[in-house]
Amino acid sequence: MKRGLVVLDEAEVPAGEWRERGDALRSRLVAEGVDVALVYGDVFASDDIAYLTNLCIYWNEGILAVPAGGEPVFLTKLSPRVHPWMRRVSTVERIESGRSFGALVTGLLDGMPHGTLGLVGAARWPAALVEEVAAALPGWRVTELPELVGERRAVVSGAELALLRQGGTVVGRAARDAAAAGLDARARTAVVERVVRGAGFLDVATRVAHAPDGVACVQVTGQYRTGWLHAARLADTDGPSWTGALREALDAALGAVGPGVTARHLTEAGGPALALLPAGSDAQVRWVNQADLATDGEYRHRAADEPMAEGSVVAVAVDVLFEAGGYAAVGETVLVTGDGAEVLTAASGEAVA
Amino acid sequence: MTTASDTESAATVAPPGGPDADGAERDLRHRKVRAAMAAEGLDAVIAYGPGWRRENVRYFTDARITGSSSMVLFPASGEVSAFSTRRGDLPELAGTGWVDHAGVLDVWDPEPLIGRLRDLRPRRIGVAHLELLPAMLDAALRRAVPGAEIVSATRLLDGVRLVKSDWELARMRRSAAVCAAGWEAFVDVLEPGLPEFRIVAEVEARIKELGAEDNFMLIASGKDEVRGMTAPTPRVLEAGDMVRTELTPQMDGYWLQICRSAVVGRPDEGQRRSFALFDEAVAAGIASVRPGVTAHDVAKAQNDVFRAYGYGEYCTSRYTRVRGHGHGLHLDETPIIEGNETVLPENAVFIIHPNTYTPLAGYHVLGDPVRVTADGCEVLVATERKLFHSEKGAAA
Repeated sequence: MKRGLVVLDEAEVPAGEWRERGDALRSRLVAEGVDVALVYGDVFASDDIAYLTNLCIYWNEGILAVPAGGEPVFLTKLSPRVHPWMRRVSTVERIESGRSFGALVTGLLDGMPHGTLGLVGAARWPAALVEEVAAALPGWRVTELPELVGERRAVVSGAELALLRQGGTVVGRAARDAAAAGLDARARTAVVERVVRGAGFLDVATRVAHAPDGVACVQVTGQYRTGWLHAARLADTDGPSWTGALREALDAALGAVGPGVTARHLTEAGGPALALLPAGSDAQVRWVNQADLATDGEYRHRAADEPMAEGSVVAVAVDVLFEAGGYAAVGETVLVTGDGAEVLTAASGEAVA
Repeated sequence: MTTASDTESAATVAPPGGPDADGAERDLRHRKVRAAMAAEGLDAVIAYGPGWRRENVRYFTDARITGSSSMVLFPASGEVSAFSTRRGDLPELAGTGWVDHAGVLDVWDPEPLIGRLRDLRPRRIGVAHLELLPAMLDAALRRAVPGAEIVSATRLLDGVRLVKSDWELARMRRSAAVCAAGWEAFVDVLEPGLPEFRIVAEVEARIKELGAEDNFMLIASGKDEVRGMTAPTPRVLEAGDMVRTELTPQMDGYWLQICRSAVVGRPDEGQRRSFALFDEAVAAGIASVRPGVTAHDVAKAQNDVFRAYGYGEYCTSRYTRVRGHGHGLHLDETPIIEGNETVLPENAVFIIHPNTYTPLAGYHVLGDPVRVTADGCEVLVATERKLFHSEKGAAA
C-alpha cells in the first residue's frame, strides 16, 4: 500500500519535463478533438496521474482533469485538509474535493461551452463512474480514449531511468538479502520493508511463496518515485535440481531481450531449460513494462503479442505452478537497449545475465 | 468495559482455527449470505475485488489474494468459484479449501467466470462493489446474462460482515497484538534527526516480522502548526515535536487500528492539555457503547466533550473527517460520524478516534479499537492511553 515517501524534487525530474508530459497529452487531445480528458486512478493503481503530476493517491480514488488548453485539476474525495500537502508534493495547483465525482466534474466544467470529454483508458474505469460522469454532463459528448498516458510512459526519459537505476539497486539488494538461507517468510518480508522503504520507496509489495519441496521464492515489487521495479529470487535451494533450471530459463529469456521481442520469443528462449522442471509443472515466461507493474500488467490487452520497445524498462519473470501445489518465480528488471538487456536489479556483487 | 491483556504474545502464535473451525466458519458465512440473498431475491452474488477493496473476496475465500482484480461467484445453491488475475494466487485459493473451483481471471476474456454464471441462468444478480467494477468486466457480465437484473450487493455484504464471529474475533485479537507492537516500535525509534519515512520503514519491518500482511499508516510530525496526517515526508524530527500516527496492520485478513501521539522529548503544557481533552473524548466514546448504539451516538459522545470545552468547531469537516470507523476485512468500514444512524450490534468492531486539529497542540491522534459486548465494550488493544514521549528527544 502507498505509505512510503512522496517527494517532488526538480533535481530529479526538472520542471520542464513535467510540462512536456502535460503538453504531450494536450497535443493528443487536440488531435483527437477532445476538449477535456479525465484520467482515473485509485490507491492501488494511479500511476498515470503520478506521471503527469507526481500526485500520490494514498487512499480512495481520484480523477485528474486535463483541459486541452489549460492546466490540470485534481478531483478527489479526500478532504481539503490534505490539499496543502498535495500541492507541496505535486505540480498541480488546483485541487477540488467533494463527495461525488459527478458533482465535481459538473462544477469543473460549469460555464464552459459543451464539447467532448474523453475518458483515458475507459475500459479500466468503473462502469458506474462512467455512467455517473456522463449523466452529470448533459450536452457534453463523452468518449472513450485509449491509454494515452500509458503509451507515453512505455519508454522512460533520462531522468526516469536515473531514478530506476537507483531504485533497481535497492530492490536487487533487498531481494538478495531476503533470500538468505534459513529465514522464515515473515523475516524475509521484514528485510525487504526495512531496506526498500528505508531507502525512500513509495510502495513495496513482498510475496513469499513456496514450492512443494520447501524451496522459497521472494518476489519484491517496489515503486521508487513514479517508477516500478521487480526482482524475484529463490531461497533455500539446496537439493532440488529444478531451481537451477528456473534460473537458467530466466537467464536465457534475459539474453533474448531486445527491441521488437515479444513474450513468445522469451518463451522460446527459456523453453529448453523449462523442460527440466518437474513433470506436470505449468511454467511461463513473461515481461511487464515497469509502467504496468502496479497491476503486474494484468490489464494489458493481448500482452503476449506486444513487442518490447528500445528504451523501455521491463520486468522479465519466469514462474511455475507445480502439479503438487506450490509456486515459485524468478525475475529481474532490465533496460531494453539496442543490443540486449541491461539488468537494473542486480545487487552489488551479484552475478546475473 | 474489559481490557485486553497479554496480547503481545498472541501475535506470535498460529492463527486460531483448524480444519473443523475453518469449515464451520465458512458454512456460517454461507448461511448468512444466503439468508440475505433470499431476502433480496438474489440468485447469485458476485464479489468483485479491485486491488484496494478485496474484503468480500476474502470473506468467501479466506485467501490472501494479490491480483489486481479478483471475483467470487457465489450462487444461491451449488459450487463456489473464485478467480484472480494473478496465477500465483491459485495455490492459496486452492489451499484454504473454501471454494470449489479456482481459476485465472483474464479481464479481457473472463469466459471461465461468465460461463459458470451463464450456466446458473440467474434472473437477479447482486454484485458486491458493482460501483468499482471496471467497464470491461461489467460489459462481459451483462453480455453473459442479457436478461438478468444486475444490482449492487455492496451493502448486503457490508451488513453480513458487520457482526464478527468468535472465529473472526480471535483473528482480530492477533491484529490487536500487532497494533501494540507496531506502536512500541514507533516510539522506540523516535529521535531528533530521524526522517518520517524511516519511522515508517522501521514500523513496517517490525509488524511484518510479526506476520502482518499489510498496513495502512498515516503520519505527521511537528508542533501546533500540524493540521492533518499524510503519507510520510522527508521531514526530520526535532526536539519538542509531537509525532502522530494511525497504524492499521492487517493480520490473517483482518485490519485493526491504533491511534496514538508521542512527543520527541518532554511534552509541553499545550501537548498535555491536548492529550487530556482527547483522552476524555475517547473515554466518552467508549462509555457510550452498548448493543444497539448508533454510529451517530458514539460520534456525538466524543464531539460533546470538545463542545463542552469550547472546541466544537474543531469537530467539523474543516478540521477532521470521522470520529472512528468500523474494522474487519476492510479497514474503513461504517464511519463513526454524526448523522450515520447505522446500528452497532454486539460483536461489531470499530475504532473510536476523535482525531482532529485544535490550537492546543495541533492535530492530535488518539484512539482505541473496541468490540461491542452485551453490556458495553471491550477495548481490544492493551497499549496504555497516554501521551507517550521519547527520552532521546529529552536529551537533545
